Amino acid sequence: MEVKILTQHYDKPEYKSLDGYKKYDGYNQLKKALTLKPDEITEMVKQAGLRGRGGAGFPAGVKWSFLPKNNKTRYLICNADEGEPGTFKDREMMDKAPHQLIEGMIISAFAIGSPKSYIYIRGEYFESKKIVEQAIKEAYENNLLGDNILKSGFSHHMDIYSGAGAYICGEETGLISSLEGKKGQPKLKPPFPAVEGYLANPTIVNNVETLASVTVIIRDGVDGYRKHGTEKSPGTKLFSVSGNVVKPGNYEVPLGYPLKDIIFNLCGGLKEGRKLKAVIPGGSSAPVLNAEEAMSVNMDYEDLASKGSMLGSGAIIVIDDSNSMVELLKVLMNFYHHESCGQCTPCREGTGWLLKLSNSILSGSANLNDVALLEKVASHMKGKTICALSDAAAFPVLSFVSKFKEEFTSYATSNVALKFQATNVQSYKRG
Amino acid sequence: MSGKNEDLISCSVNGKTISVPKNTSAIKAFKIAEQDIAHYCYHPGLSVAGCCRLCMIEIEGNPRTQIACNTMVTEGMKINNQSKQIKEDVQWGLDFHLLNHPLDCPICDQAGECGLQDQYMKFGQYKPDMNQKKVKKAKVVSLGEKIVLDSERCILCSRCVRFTDEVSKTHELGIFNRGDKSEVGTFNGKELNNDYALNTVDICPVGALTSKDFRFKQRVWYLKKAEAICTGCSTGCSIYLDYNEEGFFRVRPKPNEDNNSYWMCDEGRDLYQHLNKEKRLVKVYPSKKVSTSNFAVSSSSSSSSSSSSSSSKKAIKYLKSELENIKDSTKIGVLVTGQYSVEDYKEFFSVLKEKNSINQIYHWFDQKNSKNDFDDLLIRGDKNPNTKGLLEVAKDMSLKVIDSSELKNTASNLEILIVLGPEYKKFFSTIDEKLEYFKQALQVFYFSSVKLDSLDSISNVTQIPLQSLVERGGTYINYKGLKQKLSILPQVIPKILSFSQIAKVLNGEKIQLEPLFLKTQPVKDNQFSFQKN
Repeated sequence: MEVKILTQHYDKPEYKSLDGYKKYDGYNQLKKALTLKPDEITEMVKQAGLRGRGGAGFPAGVKWSFLPKNNKTRYLICNADEGEPGTFKDREMMDKAPHQLIEGMIISAFAIGSPKSYIYIRGEYFESKKIVEQAIKEAYENNLLGDNILKSGFSHHMDIYSGAGAYICGEETGLISSLEGKKGQPKLKPPFPAVEGYLANPTIVNNVETLASVTVIIRDGVDGYRKHGTEKSPGTKLFSVSGNVVKPGNYEVPLGYPLKDIIFNLCGGLKEGRKLKAVIPGGSSAPVLNAEEAMSVNMDYEDLASKGSMLGSGAIIVIDDSNSMVELLKVLMNFYHHESCGQCTPCREGTGWLLKLSNSILSGSANLNDVALLEKVASHMKGKTICALSDAAAFPVLSFVSKFKEEFTSYATSNVALKFQATNVQSYKRG
Repeated sequence: MSGKNEDLISCSVNGKTISVPKNTSAIKAFKIAEQDIAHYCYHPGLSVAGCCRLCMIEIEGNPRTQIACNTMVTEGMKINNQSKQIKEDVQWGLDFHLLNHPLDCPICDQAGECGLQDQYMKFGQYKPDMNQKKVKKAKVVSLGEKIVLDSERCILCSRCVRFTDEVSKTHELGIFNRGDKSEVGTFNGKELNNDYALNTVDICPVGALTSKDFRFKQRVWYLKKAEAICTGCSTGCSIYLDYNEEGFFRVRPKPNEDNNSYWMCDEGRDLYQHLNKEKRLVKVYPSKKVSTSNFAVSSSSSSSSSSSSSSSKKAIKYLKSELENIKDSTKIGVLVTGQYSVEDYKEFFSVLKEKNSINQIYHWFDQKNSKNDFDDLLIRGDKNPNTKGLLEVAKDMSLKVIDSSELKNTASNLEILIVLGPEYKKFFSTIDEKLEYFKQALQVFYFSSVKLDSLDSISNVTQIPLQSLVERGGTYINYKGLKQKLSILPQVIPKILSFSQIAKVLNGEKIQLEPLFLKTQPVKDNQFSFQKN
């Protein structure tokens, strides 16, 4: 069963306008929050155990408390770049409930003492951008944004900034570089953004879903929020399910919900006659699970980690037995090769090497050494770079090859590849 | 840096305990501890980029490996790069660098001083796994008047980009495109022609950026390097001069925290040209009077340079006798530029003062209006390396310093005008004006290491060759009073007299012609000798 906390009113078209939003308790949490002390809100978010929904899963309240105590202007940035392949939850949240995000952002900004926030929105989301822009305009017109919000003495301004469609700009420091007008490349850490971020000022970057969840925490309180989910992974989460299921889409369930139930109950299972082969549980960067692991795992941070994968952005890509894992890996490698920013050598050169190796395995021109080399290259790209893109390219390689070794070796040792391709595989070729 | 103990912290590098100042990066600690650490993007004069990922280290108590350039050393920190894991990481890091590198060392100008070669010799795994096609990129891209780019050789360490952003602040360069299609390039409509552009060639660890002036002239392993200072302006940057038996080929900055940091300007890089035969004054060009005198020096252009020392001697002896005939010392003019060393001035002035009672000198200084100009980096308006030294010597010897423009009134009264001419002609804008004064004086004795062609047509001028500044050596005092000593290098043109020899001849002493000139090294069996056409 879905538990609709964030998505409760998504079926109501008027919910995206200010009036519609207000009809369903909208902006009452902001009024409530403005009567609290900023530190109390941070403490609530910490107590509620809200973890970053963008991919890394870092506790949001803890991140906020990293802000240094100085007089520099603090910035809040909403990461709406949503570039992780398979993820499309932020888009729906912005399209259907832009005010939920804005309210969450104003509350968060109040908690961290920020006078200015930016929504960094993915370049391709121009429809969502229009919707959020309209919502910001409405909020300004009703004194929910601007100076002296609701006569509380707190002032906050908000802008929306459109990215140019680079995956790397979803990485928080890459996003900050891009927002500063520079080439979208991650920055060296330390210093972390909370200390030196946008324009070298203290900056908090949170995902759309994380910020929207702040509204829920204020509404339901710590205990109310923790009613759903597990002890270590409290709350609900939107999962974007795609791939070979009957009903793909966004589903909100409590964390800890069995993956099996998401696929076979909520999404209506696989197409008739197909068997589950593998599932990528947290966006394309997450290590793949084989069918057996997928049938037993619960969708929370800890259980997925125990299976060697991660919750990531909550993008579940379901793969049935009509797919060749070698071809899927090539598709992924094509993506990471295209999106590597080129800053760090292992990633810049390694992603291209991985793609070339995947291509030669797929085309049947490789041998067993090349399969071993694929793993070796990936293992030396892991944990070696400024940001996690290199890891994100390496994880799928390592998990694909180790969990579907036979398939890779069969491509490398015989012409199974060609036969398999001819009978089963849909082509993923671009354009 | 103060030596107080509280400013120092101790740490352990590969088991070796050392003390370093606070706020030292781990990579500096490795250098202080004299431990090898591979790196490309790190440069002590630039910000940290942390992109080559080679300076990997392990910090005791930290499960993740870190890069040394972005890690600050703390009290008691134990760091090492000797573990098997780190060594493997570095080997793989180097392989990633070489993956799309063309490996065209035999035709690459950087070979012999290439970071990729050096690091691979030390840390490489010598077992390439790459058997895929390499990425093709642009080659022989002209970035401006001075520099050529080969993008395939580039390892994208971003040093050159950071240099133009942080040091020259001219922002011509950027890295364009993404991933393995990334290439260094100039922004639209810009060229890499700033006054410091050639520093990017120096800091480029590979053969991606090469100097149009130097490329293909010499293989670097046939060059020796000598330390010197640049005499192009009053900053006096520390430099390396690269030379061999064929002459001088290149000037590079020598790191000097007290003066020029890691850089030098492009103007100063022409210095080597003034030291080579092509621009030198190699023999005496006597005036009409001198050539018809008893001391007759051969004026035929076919006279070989080997006789220049004896003809110089003759010319100077003639000067000596002429000086002795003049009783009124105000009829003798001495015109000097600030291009000579303290020792040169002392030797020359003292003999003139003693023998001929000279008590004043004319100072040839052409940057009166711009002498205090400064570009906030290195280039200064005073284009003489030793203006301070000249004025100090004159003061010590109680010589009156008169501005050379005064010659307008006095030149016609002079029976003899002795000139220590400019070596950097391009900075002396009033040469033509001075030539007019030369014509007015009865006789002119012009000393210089550099040939000034316009003097040939003036019949009363005798040109006498001098050793070049690096052949003379000596002390130079820069704008802020920093005394720098120039060591003496082998002579490019043999048997030219030194200042002390000239002074001796003027003093009536005998001199031994002891040739200091560069001996041609015998070519060994397995060496190539490159002949210039």
